[in-house]
Amino acid sequence: MKAPRFVLAVVLMLFAAVALAQSPAAPVVASDAQKSFDKLKALAGSWEGPVTVVPPQPDMSTDKPLHITMRVTSRGNALVHEMQEAGTPEDPTKYDHPVTMFYLDGDRLNLVHYCDAGNRPHMVARSSPDGKTLEFDFVDLSGGNEYGHMQHAVFTMIDDNHHTEEWTYMMPGDKPVRAHFDLQRAK
Amino acid sequence: MDSEWNDNQPIYRQLRDRVVAMILDGVLKEGDPLPSVRTVAAEYRVNPLTVLKGYQELVDEELVETRRGRGMFINAGARNLLMQGERQKFLAEEWPRIKATIRRLGLDPDELLENGAGCGPKSEAKKKEEER
Repeated sequence: MKAPRFVLAVVLMLFAAVALAQSPAAPVVASDAQKSFDKLKALAGSWEGPVTVVPPQPDMSTDKPLHITMRVTSRGNALVHEMQEAGTPEDPTKYDHPVTMFYLDGDRLNLVHYCDAGNRPHMVARSSPDGKTLEFDFVDLSGGNEYGHMQHAVFTMIDDNHHTEEWTYMMPGDKPVRAHFDLQRAK
Repeated sequence: MDSEWNDNQPIYRQLRDRVVAMILDGVLKEGDPLPSVRTVAAEYRVNPLTVLKGYQELVDEELVETRRGRGMFINAGARNLLMQGERQKFLAEEWPRIKATIRRLGLDPDELLENGAGCGPKSEAKKKEEER
């Protein structure tokens, strides 16, 4: 008679487990990476602004600012970021429209940049203590490195309508060039 | 500069090659300023970082110098430096292939020059000889 009692106990435990699973869930605490990703996703939309570069160059101000679009895709699992010169036709096959994808993988916020140099650098985010700055550090590269690769990116959220981006490209021979974008939400 | 890009190389590399061609052709002379990063970016509809990458490569090759706050300028001696490099590149990379083809087809130098392959002083001399 011991076996049926054991089976009964197991069945009761299973019912209890199912009942617990269906009870109102305890609030899920978002990981730091999730919080960072949510902040980035809040940037979805169109942005425009002037560019400065390092080494510094004169005559960088222009009436044609850089244009950036960000959109959430894949049911919220990815964020697409595209850079283009303002006024450029939407034709990434012809024009210089680099694409960057952001996504979560466990407790890491990742970035993969699809470069016209033909490679795909992968970076992982670090958040500043106030959560307003996300710094992406290079992890690895797929595709060749003959022409260098994007090495580092920093996103700083200022307010709902302003943020900055700094992109560092490592040239062959490990010489960095940087571009800094001061962006405001385009109407 | 042509605004069409091919798919074989990154745009910044093609931009660098175009400036090099302009220096070799004498369109850009020593001491001339390069058009600003922003102007090129706007005119050719490329990312300013892409233009900067192309220009930085020219700086690394010592063909161009950066003058703080003023922009980038073609270095003195840039054309000679390029000519040396391009000649060496031709002799090391292209000439062996051409030479092999010439041998394979049994062509001799006179025949090549007669068929318009020569455009240097030697072929001019040959023309004069023929005129006589």
